[in-house]
Amino acid sequence: MKIISPSNLTVDFGSKTLKPHESIPMLRREVLDSFLRFRAQSSGAHLIPALVTHLEVPSSSTEPYIIHHTSNNTKRTLAVDVIIGADGANSRVAKSIKAGNYTCAIAFQERIRLPEEKMEYYQNLAEMYVGNDVSPDFYAWVFPKCDHVAVGTGTVCAKPDIKAYQRGIRERVSHKINGGKVIKVEAHPIPEHPRPTRVRGRVALVGDAAGYVTKCSGEGIYFAAKSGRMCGEAIVKASEGGEKMVSEEDLKREYLREWDSKFMKTFRFLDLLQRVFYGSNAAREALVELCGDEYVQRMTFDSYLYKKLANGDRWEDVKMVLNTIGSLVRCKIVEREMEALKV
Amino acid sequence: MSISMSFFSPPPPTHLLISFSSKPHFTDKTIFFLRPANPLLLSAPKVSTDNGAGISAAIEEPKAEQKVAEPAGSAPEGEESSLGSNGAVADAGVKLESKFVDPRWIGGTWDLTQFQKDGSTDWDAVIDAEVRRRKWLEGNPESSSNDDPVVFDTSIIPWWAWIKRFHLPEAERLNGRAAMIGFFMAYVVDSLTGVGLVDQMNNFFCKTLLFIAVAGVLLIRKNEDIETLKKLLDETTFYDKQWQATWQDETRSSSTAE
Repeated sequence: MKIISPSNLTVDFGSKTLKPHESIPMLRREVLDSFLRFRAQSSGAHLIPALVTHLEVPSSSTEPYIIHHTSNNTKRTLAVDVIIGADGANSRVAKSIKAGNYTCAIAFQERIRLPEEKMEYYQNLAEMYVGNDVSPDFYAWVFPKCDHVAVGTGTVCAKPDIKAYQRGIRERVSHKINGGKVIKVEAHPIPEHPRPTRVRGRVALVGDAAGYVTKCSGEGIYFAAKSGRMCGEAIVKASEGGEKMVSEEDLKREYLREWDSKFMKTFRFLDLLQRVFYGSNAAREALVELCGDEYVQRMTFDSYLYKKLANGDRWEDVKMVLNTIGSLVRCKIVEREMEALKV
Repeated sequence: MSISMSFFSPPPPTHLLISFSSKPHFTDKTIFFLRPANPLLLSAPKVSTDNGAGISAAIEEPKAEQKVAEPAGSAPEGEESSLGSNGAVADAGVKLESKFVDPRWIGGTWDLTQFQKDGSTDWDAVIDAEVRRRKWLEGNPESSSNDDPVVFDTSIIPWWAWIKRFHLPEAERLNGRAAMIGFFMAYVVDSLTGVGLVDQMNNFFCKTLLFIAVAGVLLIRKNEDIETLKKLLDETTFYDKQWQATWQDETRSSSTAE
């Protein structure tokens, strides 16, 4: 992957530090989603293609939840004991249990089919762009998707200007995507932090519905899958294979507490990184400078690929922190001088 | 023109650590730097003979126009083409490509041989040139190119150049303030309580006051800094609060929680 700073300093992230069996995966959701559904079905899950319209919350703990859904133009109901809400950022389940709101970023992406020789460049390469012209608080990307590229950007604080930022990223990669044709335009909200309530009664939220998206990198796919699995396993354990009724305390104890103890540190750390490095062009320049360092890359991959904050060599950690401070200070100074020029 | 000191977090450690923060960095990066620099040096003589007249002029210029408002001079073609491209930005398809052009910017980095002054590199001029380049890019974002990658980063400039130009004047100012406040307060306390300087230092209360005074001088240099520090504290704990929100319900009844 290449990371490109506002002043076009390009840092190669991973071509030398990734081990042969490691890689930064690129994903096509349409393929993954249908694979997951198929796998669930072949393990015994009962698939009902329908649109959930609303959820009736019972008044006592012995009555079931009623799911009102529409399939084949007929309204139906389904009575269930436990619900796992995995319906994404605009979750209807979350609304029904009044789980509260969260701030969202908007991610906007255009899928562009490139001519052969331009696609050649992106066969094994993803690019990440930072700068005020492409996003004020996030990054812009060019991700290859097998036979086309996805060029996009995102922002939290400046959603009305998302089109301008998309223009910005297209200008930054202009001669790499010259001659390409836009085949699809997509946008989606991305939660920035967990909802105030993630478990209520016998309903649990997982994935984007709960708000499990890391800051800084905006990664949510792994956490969605993992939280779904953890929640499912929690329910199986608490209900002893479906024999006992599950309660809110069970869900909180087996699922939420496990999840928080496992991943909260990762989320907190990435929030810190976002606050320190995504605030201004100077900080982004420092980030790109730091990413050139091999130790930084190694630590990033160890944490990102294995989903655990990696433990590194203490001496190298100290050097990395000092380098971080040095880079931030230098880039801040350059930024201050730049402002002096304007004034 | 006064340099406004608006160091973001963490200011105090920076001042303490900066002297050895870039030292390991310097040793790491010099080795790194020497290798790519060599091909530049080999090709540079060829370039310098071409721009022989241009070089001395270019060196005079940045020194003379250190704090001039517009970035004139070194990138005239850049300016004109930027005006052109600004007009064309609204066009969906065809755009004018504006590139940062400067006689000293070669191969994606600053050619240090063109910054020579009295036989050694004039790092202040390099810093100024880089500032001007980034300022220009901010207004005219340039498309990144694979054939012409930028390889200059701020760690190429040695740590002592940064300290000499930016840290030392500030340190002088802060130490001066601390000394003045210290002398005055020592005098006032002595005249009010009769406790001399040595006895003041032995007293725990006085030591605490001294600590607060030093911390205050380091952290708060403008009135805005107080607000900045308060906001910083809030921000640091905000994300945590959002995560813990789901556990707050346990202290309230779930029917009233919203």
